[in-house]
Amino acid sequence: MTQRVSIVGIGSTRFGPQPGKGIVQLAVEAAEAAIRESGIERERIGALYFGNFISGPLTGQEVLAGIVADHLGLANIPCTKVEGACASGGIAFRHAKLAVESRQCDAALVVGAEKMTQASTEMITAALNCAMDNLSDGVSGLTFPGLFGMAWRLYEQRYGLTRAQVSAVVRKNKANGLLNPLAQMGRYLTDDEIEQSPFICDPMRLFDCCPTSDGAAALVLAADELIETGGAVPVRVLASAQTRGAARIAGHSDLCSFDATVAAAHLAFKEAGIDRSDIDVVELHDCFSIAEILDSEDLGFMPRGHGAHWAKEGRTAVGGDLPINPSGGLLAKGHPVGATGVGQIYETVLQLRGDHQNLVKDAAFGLTHNLGGTGVACTVNILGRYDA
Amino acid sequence: MPKREIEDCQINVLHCENCGTLDPGPRSLCPKCHSAELAEIAVPGAGTLLSWTTIRRPPTAFREEGPYHIAVVDLDAKLRVTARLTAPSPGIAPGARVLCVGTRNDVPVFQEIDA
Repeated sequence: MTQRVSIVGIGSTRFGPQPGKGIVQLAVEAAEAAIRESGIERERIGALYFGNFISGPLTGQEVLAGIVADHLGLANIPCTKVEGACASGGIAFRHAKLAVESRQCDAALVVGAEKMTQASTEMITAALNCAMDNLSDGVSGLTFPGLFGMAWRLYEQRYGLTRAQVSAVVRKNKANGLLNPLAQMGRYLTDDEIEQSPFICDPMRLFDCCPTSDGAAALVLAADELIETGGAVPVRVLASAQTRGAARIAGHSDLCSFDATVAAAHLAFKEAGIDRSDIDVVELHDCFSIAEILDSEDLGFMPRGHGAHWAKEGRTAVGGDLPINPSGGLLAKGHPVGATGVGQIYETVLQLRGDHQNLVKDAAFGLTHNLGGTGVACTVNILGRYDA
Repeated sequence: MPKREIEDCQINVLHCENCGTLDPGPRSLCPKCHSAELAEIAVPGAGTLLSWTTIRRPPTAFREEGPYHIAVVDLDAKLRVTARLTAPSPGIAPGARVLCVGTRNDVPVFQEIDA
């Protein structure tokens, strides 16, 4: 018999450069806040799952799961670091959810963390390219922005995408960042400013790309019997799906779509037993502006070719029919890789508690989407208000 | 450029001796039937451009080469490859006919064929 799982405590550092704070310190700060908020005794926490991508090459520190558990004073429980490139945090969450759901334990801790901004651009580029299949795509000189530059160009030809439509995504997310105290950046940008920023991978420009960040986020998951009255408002985990897509660019059937996202969304909605029209707020993987358009279509929220219109018409703004990335998304909140998927859930929990600085009013159901590598790993999670 | 070089610029790919699947490789098992009987064969280097971009911030290993162009090409041999693109014209668009004109680090380099 499985048991229902809720998020009963959350914690997060600010995302962005944090000189003087190491990855362990960031992770402990977020995790301690989550444990304290949950009100759950730490001896009841039966497992730790840690999402991290590249702490080895960038900080020289591995076995983060065990080290952070030691700092937190947790018992000698199983502590596991998981890695799935940019989806590492989402994967850690799913494994913690499975551990509680399957009664391996009644409470589990999820931590995601990354420390990047101390490294040189060369080190970061080399480390990020570890997420590419370096037997094939890597040897060509391709980069991750390059993958999305190619997707943009094909989408443009197929659906008549305009620069102004993509800029609408950038303007929305950067402006949302202004209202998020944890966000790395926030700004009201004009179309001109975006269009005059330098090319990174044509037609993609600087403002179309997310920044590298430092940061950590954490969640405590628990079964119903451990939920403390008077503790933080719990949020239900209705679904957590994880899928694999093609590891190589040439393996993708369509450059304008990620099979892993399509499949994970299908599984997640099936598990949650709700429809796409029930979702009130979405935090999705906008590592690049064009990615938000592709992802929202892959998740099935609108027909192919319509994602860009939705952004331009304001339908994905807070107050629109489907608010996407009210946190500022990766574009403005930042992308400390291993923390991102956990941070998306942190943001969505605040929305469902009615306690977000950029609030989607009366949100009952939220969805998070975390995509790794060239689409090789994906998680889609659906959360619901406890009383919904 | 003229089409006469088609025979001269073939691309080495993997052919499954068991089920006939073609794959750009490298890999040790056939992605369809899982046979380990993969042999390298040459296929014609003609294809259609699926998309392309210009890499202006290259990874460290390619820093000296930037900016350069990366493309995904659908070969006439019914297989998709990640490749380099050389000297694209300003009007080049997905669907353009391209031809392999050489390799770099075993990665095919394509050039647009005049329409």
